[in-house]
Amino acid sequence: MGPLIPQGIITGGWDFVIALLLGIAFGFILEASGFSSSRNITGAFYGYNFVVLRVFLTAVLVAMIGLLYFDYFGWIDMDLLYILPTYLTPMIIGAIIMGFGFLIGGFCPGTSYTGIAIGKLDAMVFTGGLFIGIFVFSEAFPLFSDFYYSDNMGNVTITEVLGLSAEVFTMIMVVVGLAAFWVTWLIEKRVRKNINPYKFE
Amino acid sequence: MNKNYIYLTVLMLVLAAGLFVLPERDNSKQTNPEDLMWSIVQPTRFISTDVVAKMIIERDPTLELIDVRSEDEYSEFSLEKAINIPLDSLTSENYQNYLGIKGLKAIFYSNDDIKADQAWVIAKRLGFDNIYVMKGGLNCWMKTIIEPTQPNETASSEEFELYSFRKGASIYFTGANMENDSEGTKAVINVQRKKKTSVVEGGC
Amino acid sequence: MNTNIESVRRPKYINPYFGGVLLGLLLLLTMYITGRGLGASGAVKSAVVTTFDKVAPVHTESSTFYSKFISDSHSPMFNWLVFESLGIFIGGLISGAIFGRLKKIRVEHSPKISSKTRLWAAGIGGILFGIGSQFGRGCSSGAALSGTASFSFGGFLVMMLLFGTGYIVAYFFRKLWI
Repeated sequence: MGPLIPQGIITGGWDFVIALLLGIAFGFILEASGFSSSRNITGAFYGYNFVVLRVFLTAVLVAMIGLLYFDYFGWIDMDLLYILPTYLTPMIIGAIIMGFGFLIGGFCPGTSYTGIAIGKLDAMVFTGGLFIGIFVFSEAFPLFSDFYYSDNMGNVTITEVLGLSAEVFTMIMVVVGLAAFWVTWLIEKRVRKNINPYKFE
Repeated sequence: MNKNYIYLTVLMLVLAAGLFVLPERDNSKQTNPEDLMWSIVQPTRFISTDVVAKMIIERDPTLELIDVRSEDEYSEFSLEKAINIPLDSLTSENYQNYLGIKGLKAIFYSNDDIKADQAWVIAKRLGFDNIYVMKGGLNCWMKTIIEPTQPNETASSEEFELYSFRKGASIYFTGANMENDSEGTKAVINVQRKKKTSVVEGGC
Repeated sequence: MNTNIESVRRPKYINPYFGGVLLGLLLLLTMYITGRGLGASGAVKSAVVTTFDKVAPVHTESSTFYSKFISDSHSPMFNWLVFESLGIFIGGLISGAIFGRLKKIRVEHSPKISSKTRLWAAGIGGILFGIGSQFGRGCSSGAALSGTASFSFGGFLVMMLLFGTGYIVAYFFRKLWI
């Protein structure tokens, strides 16, 4: 019955070993899918390479469906699962800023680590930028600490806020996702015909 | 290549749809037999009549007394604000709402504590926490709270304190006249005795 | 002489859907084992805290933001996300080695701009992302990916807005990429 660590089934120093192993798998999958290249990542926004959409959405859908089946079979105790708390306004602002950063920088933290691993200087600079950004944030924190904590809706789930049951929401996501996969396949074919064949890195 | 993708698309739709057609499963948490045996062996589930009396007098909001005797016995006499869940209907759904309420301590009692203990085991098996048994049941209640026995003169000061608490409780519950209680507390002679906890708790 | 049919050599990547399924299963496994999802930005935060704790300990302790992450018993680096992020790096290294992508240090950029421009953009993008990730309580892995998978409303919100903003802004920065 999961989750294992919060219930003490796995204890002690194993935490960090597991973290390392899971991270290695994560990094491997990211790099092998092509996320170590910033041009691959931003391709989704310009229509020539939808790898981000495909990997990301597929992963979310698989995890959601899997989680619901696990819950059904009693293999995981959903009460013990950490639900990211929702701070409405700060998160909206944060997501928008991240959207800019994502587009301009061409990476996100996880993928930038894989970029560094294969020697991409822009990934290293991006990570450096992350460091600076977080530092700036912390120094300026007293200015907006109230804002940071505002609008705390608690650890709400989608079900609680949107009123859709988990199964219904998953189904909607699956349908939308699958539709997106087929549509983007068509778009990609068309866009690639028109732009110069670009050198993959 | 495309055909494979079509298969995969269908597969994903089927998996997602499958979530809707799964039959209802009873995923309530049940205590497994080993844990159950272990908690039965612990005496921590017992609460003395003195503590129950105190909780009633102080109007402790976490108290929830559950009388597990039959309806007739319950209507003849019951503890203040106790609810009646006869032992044989404990597992029926109507009464499950009374157990497992966050923050409330459900304390089972019966005439002695055998029925109440059975109720406790059943409720524990069903996975409920925060459940207790009043030790000695109503028989003990009568002997300790309603008609407490006066300790003899060689008893420790704690026993006298307990006795005077019990006398007070008895008055609270029966509305009897206040008796002259001048000999309630013994003079402060520091008797260096080991605390005889079983006696002080007034085990029946 | 090679004809230009081969001018675009496709590097070996795994099928994205396959990668997605693997990632989804990994996410599921992570949640099963740890009760939390994956994440990445937290490691950089730990690095910031550790650095400034070493450099200016008094300031760090009195800062309302940093102080939460300092503990007397161990360095702030000694936490789950740091080890996981180290793992991400190692995993990337392994994959790069297998697929032949471990090469000299290089900058990847659109043919229309210079390396320098690209590096500036990466830096600025990183700074923005760093700031945003703190408000958003996570990055695309932690908040968007793991958050949505665990049905958190905040995670879903961040996912939609992050990618949504990207799409809206893409037009204005297209020179950087195409």
